[in-house]
Amino acid sequence: MNAPAHWLDARRAEAENRFRSLGVPHRRVEDWKYSDLRVALDGANDAAPTANWDIATLPSGVELFDLAGLSSAPDWVVKNFGGTSAPDAMSSASLAQARAGFALRIPRGTAIADVLNLTLSGAGPLRGLIVLEESASLTLMETVTGSAGFANTGIEILLGANAQLTHIRTSVAAPDAVQVEEVAVKLARDAQYKAHFFNGGAKLSRLELQIALKGDGAGAHLSGVSVLSGHADVTTHITHAVGNTQSTQLFKHVAGGKGRAVYQGKVSVAQGADKSDSRQTAKALLLGTGAEADLKPELEIFADDVKCAHGAAVGDLDADSLFYLRARGIPENEARNMLLRAFLEEAVAEIANADIHAAVWRSVEAALSLVRGEAP
Amino acid sequence: MLEIKNLHVAVGGKEILKGLTLSIAAGQVHAIMGPNGSGKSTLSYVLAGRAGYEITQGTISYNGEDLNALAPEQRAAKGVFLAMQYPVEIPGVTTLNFLKTALNAQRRARDESALDAMSVLKLVRKKAGVLKVSEEMLKRALNVGFSGGEKKRLEILQMALFEPKLAILDETDSGLDIDALKLVAEGVNALRAPDRAMLVITHYQRLLEYIVPDRIHVLAGGRIVAEGGKELAHELEAKGYEHIVGKAA
Repeated sequence: MNAPAHWLDARRAEAENRFRSLGVPHRRVEDWKYSDLRVALDGANDAAPTANWDIATLPSGVELFDLAGLSSAPDWVVKNFGGTSAPDAMSSASLAQARAGFALRIPRGTAIADVLNLTLSGAGPLRGLIVLEESASLTLMETVTGSAGFANTGIEILLGANAQLTHIRTSVAAPDAVQVEEVAVKLARDAQYKAHFFNGGAKLSRLELQIALKGDGAGAHLSGVSVLSGHADVTTHITHAVGNTQSTQLFKHVAGGKGRAVYQGKVSVAQGADKSDSRQTAKALLLGTGAEADLKPELEIFADDVKCAHGAAVGDLDADSLFYLRARGIPENEARNMLLRAFLEEAVAEIANADIHAAVWRSVEAALSLVRGEAP
Repeated sequence: MLEIKNLHVAVGGKEILKGLTLSIAAGQVHAIMGPNGSGKSTLSYVLAGRAGYEITQGTISYNGEDLNALAPEQRAAKGVFLAMQYPVEIPGVTTLNFLKTALNAQRRARDESALDAMSVLKLVRKKAGVLKVSEEMLKRALNVGFSGGEKKRLEILQMALFEPKLAILDETDSGLDIDALKLVAEGVNALRAPDRAMLVITHYQRLLEYIVPDRIHVLAGGRIVAEGGKELAHELEAKGYEHIVGKAA
């Protein structure tokens, strides 16, 4: 049964109003302090949107719907599209404006063995919707190509009870791109969201995750590395809405040249969400004096019985470690490279799949040589 | 092999070694004993070439070469090895990979061919057994989660693997129980050789019961204040540093 299109018009109109009242974020908006989108977009022309997605091979068992045909969407799209979208400016903008997009559904109890490769390219607004029903599982590899221009992507992810999504996102260095991607994830009982993000930096790159742990036993485990001489901002907000929920975050950044690495991580534990367990670590290495890192872990706790830990550190490679390696005969440059890779591997090692781990490392290596080439 | 003359070393502008003179011939094992703060670790770091240890006066000659002109990695390739008091933990680098990288870096610097992973593993296995360094330890990140004894055993394993000409052991006994101490000492004794010199730095005489030195130097206030044979260790143990240091002053 196809739903009438007016449901869509209403959601889009509401989002458009929200975006209009909030406007394009800039540095005086607290959440965007380190990523001034208004400045980055200054002078950008409003070319016709070219944003597009591609799935080369759809693994069997996955249901795919092209959002370009939204007015004739199936029930599961109508029910969920725009429903978990965060009420902030940029995800409102993509919801209101995007005509391109994809929707994926894994039916109840279905485990997808093959990796689903999703490629996002072009500029303009784009939407995605990913629904994993109860006990379904999927590994999603998202590759962002880094086309020039302004891309604003909004993705909603709904994980039913006991569903498991492994989400890997790689975004190559794109000095001419302004990229905003807002991912909203809602997890039911015992659902697990495991994600790794590689970012090579852009003119401005902002990845924002709004994660709601809504059911007992739900967990979100995030890790990522940024290697850049441009800009990359990873902003996360994890809400432990109920008790006995877990979240971990481990982010590593290497910034060279005039690069700027940003991590803002907020963890909120709701009243009564006892036995919540949350850890977040963010570290940055600066190669050269022109680079900058802004790390801001933040906790907001309304429950009594919780375990929450956070830490952040910005610095150079550890002098003791460097001396140790050199004293064993490893030349300084090689020792530095070894420590740099070891620093990043701590986070990349969170990727369990060996093929994906190797693929992400290829992107990391490419970014490292780029950064070192540009470093003073 | 090693000739140190009137060595003055400053750390952060403060003079720690104040005219140290010492020489060790190939085949010999010397011990340096001294109270805390006497400059023992400063001596070991300056020999290995750590940044921040400034030689303000004097010379260090190693096989006729000015050691101070060499970077730490060049010293290692030429056979200088420092077993550290506090081996560094490096997450993200597996122990075996570290051993292979270090061994091949040294070999490369000496214009020797690099060894492949399998050859390195075989070599490591051959040396690891007696030091009770397990395969599992080799797979773990370097020194991460290792006990004090495991770290020191791995230091001695590296010494066995790199086959240095001059080995400096900085407080290798610290933090070891008697069984671990014996194991480490056995490992060190097995490496005594006519073409190898060793400098064993320690606070306590205990280690020297197991690694018996040819000569003992007492370091205090940045200078050698007493020297003697192995019996000097017993005198120090019985009468304390105050006695010897006081007599010298």
